[in-house]
Amino acid sequence: CGKFSKLQKTGTDQQKYDAAMTYYKKGDFYKAGILFEELIPILKGSTESELSQFYYAYTQYQQGLYNTSQFLFKKFYDTYARSDFAQEAYYMHAYSLYKDSAPFNLDQTSTFTAISALQDFINTYPDSPFREECTRFILELRDKLELKAYEKAKLYHKISDFNMSSLKSAVISIENFKKDFPDSPYNEELAFLKVDAQYGLASNSLNYTLEQLLTQKERYQDVIKFYQQMIDKYPEGKYGKDAEKMYASSQTELANIIKIEEKNRKLKEDKVDPGKKPTKLTAPTTAKSDTQ
Amino acid sequence: QRVGLGATSKPAAPVANMGIDPANPKEYTIAEVTVSGTQFLDPNSMVSISGLKPGDKIRVPGPAVTSSIKKMMDFGTLDDVEILATKVEGEKIWLNIHIKERPRLYSATFSGIRKGERETMNDKVKLIKGRVITPTMIKNTQLIIKKYYMDKGFYNTKVKVLQIPDSSRGQATLNFTINKGKKVKIEKIDIEGNTEISDRTLKRKLKGTKQKMLGRLFNPSKYIPKKYDEDKEKLIAYYRKNGYRDATIEYDTVKNNGETISIKMKVDEGKKYYYRNITWTGNYLYTSKYLGERLGVKKGDVYDPEELDKKIQGIPGGDVSSIYMDDGYLYFRIDPTEKAVVGDSIDIEMRMFEGKQATINRILLNGNTKTSDRVVLRELFTLPGQKFSKTEIINTQRQLSQMGYFDPEKIQIQPIPNQNDGTVDIEYTVEEKPSDQIELSGGWGGYIGFVGTLGLVFNNFSIKNIPNRETWKPLPSGDGQKLSVRFQANGKQYQTYSLGFSEPWLGGKKPINFGVSFQRTVYRQTDYNSLYGYGTGGSSSGIQYRGGYFNNGVTVSLGRRLKEPDRYLVLTHSLSYNRYRLDSINIFGGAYNTGVSNNVSFNTTISRNTLSDNQFPRSGSNISLSATFTPPYSAFRKSDYSDAAEKYRWVEYHKYMFDASYYATITGKLVLSARTHMGYLGSYSNKAGFSPFGRFVLGGSGLAGQGAFSLADQDIIGLRGYQDQQVGPLLNGRPADGGGIAYNKYVMELRYPVSLNPQATIFILGFAEGGNNWGTYQKFNPFDLKRSAGVGARIFMPAFGLLGIDWAYGFDALDGQTQRSGPQFHFTIGQQIR
Repeated sequence: CGKFSKLQKTGTDQQKYDAAMTYYKKGDFYKAGILFEELIPILKGSTESELSQFYYAYTQYQQGLYNTSQFLFKKFYDTYARSDFAQEAYYMHAYSLYKDSAPFNLDQTSTFTAISALQDFINTYPDSPFREECTRFILELRDKLELKAYEKAKLYHKISDFNMSSLKSAVISIENFKKDFPDSPYNEELAFLKVDAQYGLASNSLNYTLEQLLTQKERYQDVIKFYQQMIDKYPEGKYGKDAEKMYASSQTELANIIKIEEKNRKLKEDKVDPGKKPTKLTAPTTAKSDTQ
Repeated sequence: QRVGLGATSKPAAPVANMGIDPANPKEYTIAEVTVSGTQFLDPNSMVSISGLKPGDKIRVPGPAVTSSIKKMMDFGTLDDVEILATKVEGEKIWLNIHIKERPRLYSATFSGIRKGERETMNDKVKLIKGRVITPTMIKNTQLIIKKYYMDKGFYNTKVKVLQIPDSSRGQATLNFTINKGKKVKIEKIDIEGNTEISDRTLKRKLKGTKQKMLGRLFNPSKYIPKKYDEDKEKLIAYYRKNGYRDATIEYDTVKNNGETISIKMKVDEGKKYYYRNITWTGNYLYTSKYLGERLGVKKGDVYDPEELDKKIQGIPGGDVSSIYMDDGYLYFRIDPTEKAVVGDSIDIEMRMFEGKQATINRILLNGNTKTSDRVVLRELFTLPGQKFSKTEIINTQRQLSQMGYFDPEKIQIQPIPNQNDGTVDIEYTVEEKPSDQIELSGGWGGYIGFVGTLGLVFNNFSIKNIPNRETWKPLPSGDGQKLSVRFQANGKQYQTYSLGFSEPWLGGKKPINFGVSFQRTVYRQTDYNSLYGYGTGGSSSGIQYRGGYFNNGVTVSLGRRLKEPDRYLVLTHSLSYNRYRLDSINIFGGAYNTGVSNNVSFNTTISRNTLSDNQFPRSGSNISLSATFTPPYSAFRKSDYSDAAEKYRWVEYHKYMFDASYYATITGKLVLSARTHMGYLGSYSNKAGFSPFGRFVLGGSGLAGQGAFSLADQDIIGLRGYQDQQVGPLLNGRPADGGGIAYNKYVMELRYPVSLNPQATIFILGFAEGGNNWGTYQKFNPFDLKRSAGVGARIFMPAFGLLGIDWAYGFDALDGQTQRSGPQFHFTIGQQIR
């Protein structure tokens, strides 16, 4: 290390440049990086400047500092657009961004940036040998976004034990997922969870007043609608059996509700004595809590 | 012939017209590009930057040349660039780039100011050596310096620049001569035209612009133009607030007398106005009467548009707009309009647009670069499918700051409405802040051994991510779990070890907090006399062990958030087992000094926390009630308890604690904190008596450790203005029987934040408090308090936690003493609960 700090303190620019190149070739990217960083402002405008900047970007990339390297490669590309390394720099900029993209459960700004950089690269160099790779990376990053949306849609279903109203959130976020990713393989499972969430919403619905009963009826009708959508799309699906049970139960409940409504209507029609109190409605299922 | 655009100060080199007609652009092939005028720059790289290559086809005149020049000028080191055609042969063109280089900065020097100031200047101006000197850079630097001194009250600062070239190296030194002159004070502020509000009151409103006066220490007179402009607005705002709707400053003059200035202003107050009739239009959902009552403005009240605006949309939940905004009416608008002005009365028409109800569609979260989506999303009060509610959004904001992972000052909430389908997306943008704490201190002292503390708290830990190296930042994080490790030692004499882990959503489905912790305490009583040969006949034999106290314990807890009666309630149950071994050590002052005690206890705590955030709460409250029980062994034990070791083999007691704190913003940044704490220890039978374990120790900083460690399950509680642990019954300067069995404490505190930066939250405080600790229920009297008052400061840094210093004056004498406790200093580390 003594040699390195001596070079740093007393070495000439040329010595530093040569040493930086040697360190780079030996794979000591940390030391090479420090030297290049020092040299770049001094070398600005000289022949070595171009190479120094290019290698400097690589030292950062090799150390896993992808956010710095993507910036440096871009800067290189912008400064030396006609350089022989320009294409490689652009690719490395996009590739660094791809490497820097955050895991699915975190903020995805970096993923969006990476996708657009990769797309820009393909557009700028349609004949590049890296083209295929870039296309693959874009698909990979899109899968990540898909996984994020899937986990988010499932989360509302998962926490509904604690907060019943998140069942409604689950239905909505599953619908949003289907809109955003119509071809996703997750759609089958989510279609089932949607039936399940809607069934939970319906069966936990309060049903003491006529108005509440109407809400419950609509909710059960939605269970049937969602179930039908599911089996139309996935007739042989693995969730069919479980969903069928909910479907059957919803139909029974619906029949009950309609019966009550009939009875109630008749009572109203037959009402002779205006002072008579309205008949109390009987609940077909016991409600756990309000879902509104 | 000149074909490009550069700085056009000098005429282009006279080159014979080679058939280039500026009016008729023509395409040429570049034959060669040469560079002239370079001194230090490399010609080849200049060509590379210009983007012009032999073989390229370009139009002359055309955009290619212009963009080349622009690129080169953007490069920044050039003073001038010209691109000239030196030769044209048929389709071929020879180009020459003539450049003029600019000197680079060798160094910047400052004269006319003191050395210390020079260093500050260097930081302020941010001139980097080796940068190219441009006129903009010089001008900007001059302005930065001037502004810096003007903001400090040196209104007449002058900055001169001298560029000293060093032509041999292409560099130059910039010398800034600063003549800041004297601080400009305000000789006199003359306010004319005011008949209703006094000069004195108006001058008080000019908060940053004060007239020169003897004895003005805290807010010295100085003239800062920016502040003066703000103050003028404040003055007018004050008039408006008091009904003077037409008040204006007719004119104002600032006269520069050299060392002082004088301000003269003329105000036109206009009339004082009052409300007459308030009418509502456009309201279909609620009656005008209901809305009027909600608004709470009566006929004859002083006209105050600012206050009116607050009543329309101010406090969430209490204003007019929240009856709509909490029920999905996102597009709701209310527009108070002055309908008629008759004499001094104003009729207001509230023009309303109720709009449609909006339902939340998507919840978007940005900026969580460390914390998992689900950890955040599961805590939000806004859910897809619900009606838009402003109050719930504000509740969510508080929840986000309370989590402790994000900077509370930087949480952004953006509702994104989709008018066509009647939905709204809500976007939360957060910024992660460091939430881990590391505490390290230590030393090595000869016979004593290691002295110090090693403490680590990871508030956003993730067990799941341990095998996932790339998520380590610097440790596996993002799942909201908490891991804490702490080791403290005072050599061989005293050591504590603790390890704790908690998961806030056990199983991920419900907010069930699961926690487990282990702790070990070792305390050895040693004899230093032998070290120096006293009493052992002169032979030094090292430190002699005379007795000790050893405690091992484990606690498992399960906490659950309740939904009823409100969602801020948390119910926690915990089960602990502690084993204490006493080896000829007299910590209770009684007969029991050797033996093994076991303590199995069950604790239930119910708490409700609505604090606005944890570092510096500005509103909300935190209430907690807890009860702890051990099994009543005495009910089925036959022994006569004559043997102390036998009597305390199984510790038995029941204990109740109550803690409540309340925070409210009084004015501006000033926050009031009121707290009350109490605790009672009970026994199951007279036979067993009150347990020496689990008692209360009151006084001082309330800090465990620092040589005042907690033994035998004691609760250590602070009471500023009195010495550590000294309030309550004492025996030989230590709490008698292990401490008191009942204590009360009340605190009133005023806090003012100096800095709310999450890297270093600093606030100062003034307080008055009182408390007492009793050894028997016969003496218990909740009004007999030891009182104190004082001032202090707290600083919170993520790496160290909370550090505090207080000065307090104790007004009362401790039991058994005649003199009042007097002034005391207290240092605290970590958040004090009580």
